[in-house]
Amino acid sequence: MSHPVLEVRDLAISFAHPRPAVRSVSVTVDEGEVVALVGESGSGKSMTARAVIGLLPDGAVATGSVRLRGEEVLGLPEEEILRYRGRRVAMVFQEPQTALNPVRTVGWQLAEALRAHGGARGRAARERAVELLREVEIPDPEERLDFYPHQLSGGQKQRVVLALALANEPELLLADEPTTALDVTVQAEILALLRRIRDRTGTSIVIITHNMGVVAHLADRVVVLRQGEVVEEADTRALFARPRHPYTRQLLAAVPRLPEVDDRVLELLAEPEPEGVAHEMATPALEYDDVHVHFGSRTRGRVLPAVDGVTLRLETGQVLGLVGESGSGKTTLGRLAAGLVPLAGGRVRVAGTDITQARGRRRAALCRRLAFVHQDPEASLDPRFTVGEAIREPLDVHGVGTRRARDQRVVELLDAVRLPASFARRRPRELSGGQRQRVALARALTLEPRLLIADEPTSALDVSVQAEVLELFADLQRRLGFACIVISHDLAVVNAVADRVAVLRAGRVVESGPAARVFGDPAHEYTRRLLDAVPVPDPTVRDATGPALREHIAS
Amino acid sequence: MSESLIDVAAPEGAAPRPDDEPDQRRRPGARSALRRGKGLAGVLLIGVVVALGLLAPLLAPYGPTEQIPGANLVGPSGAHWLGTDEVNRDVYSRTLYGIRTDLVVVFLAVPIGAVIGILVGLVSSWWTFTDVIAQRVFDLVLAFPTLILAIALTAFVGPGLRTVFFVIIAVELPVFGRLTRTSVRTVREMPYVEAAHVVGAGSWWQLRRHVLPNSWEPLLVQLAVSMSVAVFIEGAMSFLGLGVRPPHPSLGSLIRDGVRNMYDAPFFAVGPLALVVALVLGLLLVSQALAEARRS
Repeated sequence: MSHPVLEVRDLAISFAHPRPAVRSVSVTVDEGEVVALVGESGSGKSMTARAVIGLLPDGAVATGSVRLRGEEVLGLPEEEILRYRGRRVAMVFQEPQTALNPVRTVGWQLAEALRAHGGARGRAARERAVELLREVEIPDPEERLDFYPHQLSGGQKQRVVLALALANEPELLLADEPTTALDVTVQAEILALLRRIRDRTGTSIVIITHNMGVVAHLADRVVVLRQGEVVEEADTRALFARPRHPYTRQLLAAVPRLPEVDDRVLELLAEPEPEGVAHEMATPALEYDDVHVHFGSRTRGRVLPAVDGVTLRLETGQVLGLVGESGSGKTTLGRLAAGLVPLAGGRVRVAGTDITQARGRRRAALCRRLAFVHQDPEASLDPRFTVGEAIREPLDVHGVGTRRARDQRVVELLDAVRLPASFARRRPRELSGGQRQRVALARALTLEPRLLIADEPTSALDVSVQAEVLELFADLQRRLGFACIVISHDLAVVNAVADRVAVLRAGRVVESGPAARVFGDPAHEYTRRLLDAVPVPDPTVRDATGPALREHIAS
Repeated sequence: MSESLIDVAAPEGAAPRPDDEPDQRRRPGARSALRRGKGLAGVLLIGVVVALGLLAPLLAPYGPTEQIPGANLVGPSGAHWLGTDEVNRDVYSRTLYGIRTDLVVVFLAVPIGAVIGILVGLVSSWWTFTDVIAQRVFDLVLAFPTLILAIALTAFVGPGLRTVFFVIIAVELPVFGRLTRTSVRTVREMPYVEAAHVVGAGSWWQLRRHVLPNSWEPLLVQLAVSMSVAVFIEGAMSFLGLGVRPPHPSLGSLIRDGVRNMYDAPFFAVGPLALVVALVLGLLLVSQALAEARRS
């Protein structure tokens, strides 16, 4: 037992590509320890985990050493790996949706995991499955055994995935971004659950994440990876208190934070809200008036309300943040303003024009005043267009100016989003994620819109890139003065750019007001819960919030 | 048309740009796929057949319908490389001219059918009403086996090259219509099409600038497949006497003549058969190479 549970020494993984995926990684995980592998995309954190469990993609060449309790497992033949994979080391994947077989019941899948390693069968397997579901705190485990994955919520699915991983009582649990696909409140529950599982069973956990908040919440020790190398390794508290490597400092600084309740907020609260008289005269940039949106069709049966009686106003030059968890209707509201979703009731006015009434020339005029930034810049730029063509397209569509003038405008816009003019000739594929989102932003600004709708503009980006893009965005907004809707599930992102915030839940506005007020002193219980659930990138807060989270789950 | 298809599929941009970042991996385009391995072999095979057909007037020692006195069903010799047929015509010359018929069918009828099919597919996929109508018509046409369709059409317009033309267009039109519809439906859901819509671009703009260029690749593969099928259709129709009227030669009718005289002159059908095989094989190799380039 003197050996650590996992010992990775000088692991290097390379492909045919000249740059190796992992250059040199050494990590040690002790009994019952939670170690976080942190890094941005391309840092090699997932590859390291895959090497441990023997799931490297074809063509990968791994050198170095990976020892499980002193036994070398790197380079073992597949049959040998099968004996320990799932039994001694288990993996929890990022996307619970795809990690479960949709045509089998939860019970069947758990039984399969047990059977694979010669565990319990028949009645005994069923009992063990119930036990496992109880362990991951799923209510009514006996009933849930006969559920299919689609009958469970996202959080419950991830719990089942966790139960599958725990089926054979592994010594080591590898969790690859286990909460990234989940809502904040669910994420908080899963993180708390992981900690409790560790406390109860003594399983060592390696958690792979890019979220510093998750790290602070869960990990005992942190290993920071960058471009396939360990740049810093430290105890969690020490790392957050005194980051030594500049990259770690940069990572920590890039995390957007929520406001603390301090004097500034209280001062703000004392002031009367600047609504009313002054703005009543001016036409708002965007107005939702008792808006309803339904999905599904009446003729085919079920109608699902996605937006249920929302009334909101966005004044000229203001930034409104829409926050909420999945299914809250925030994205639908944004798409509604761009005319991408049919309206079931109420009115949406962009600068006084009813968007459902606009046809032909009036629609064209409306489109010129309005721009939309998609979540995923990779998909929202035509792969066949060069960056210049993509940015110029709005001008081409509306036939603005001469060709030369348009190209000149492209250069200006690239400059505005801090990209060199030479980028105009590149294709989206040749850009990084952050650069692509800048291009998408430049394209949105081409026609000098009065209203910009940004749907999760940074959720596809790494933290450090996210911070840059947000800063650029805020800067452009200040300079150009367009009104803006920022839609995000990330409260901190919204806090970084929005003047006002509307919190949505199940298609209704739960609370709205100035950002500092809503985040600093939430009036609604749901807003408070959302805020509490955000993993704060500060390990000292962990002990304070831990019990509070448990109460939420109980309620 | 086939030429411009290839142009669109392999966009410019191969020129080296010195200021580029590390990630410069270009996906192997349609063009480079045809420059190596299978693709190259296919292009060479097609090239040889096409060259033989185009250069027929220079290469052929006799005219396609010229009768040579005293040479009745003679075997291959220095004077008649592939021998002569039962009415004293030089098979080698006839074969070379016969290629031309097939080239017309392959490089004219198929692209025409493809273009009409693509247009119908585009229009139909964009609006529900047209979609329902077009798809049911396609169902109807596709329900008939090709040869039955050919025989039925011949009953109306009589045999001839024109009929072969019509049959190929009728057969290929729904194939391309369907395929266009499928790939357009996939592409139009992409956020970049929506992005164009938000900017204010109309349906036509979205179709022309975004949807069509991003739907080319499967169509290009299908074009090569359909061309090889067209060679078969021509061969089968001429073999059955529904196609090119004698004395005009085509590869299909030459094979039929050869089979008829198989016992007296077994060498007769070899030349045209070899050419059909070369052409079909070449086209299939090209289509495979294109499909592989698309997947990678």
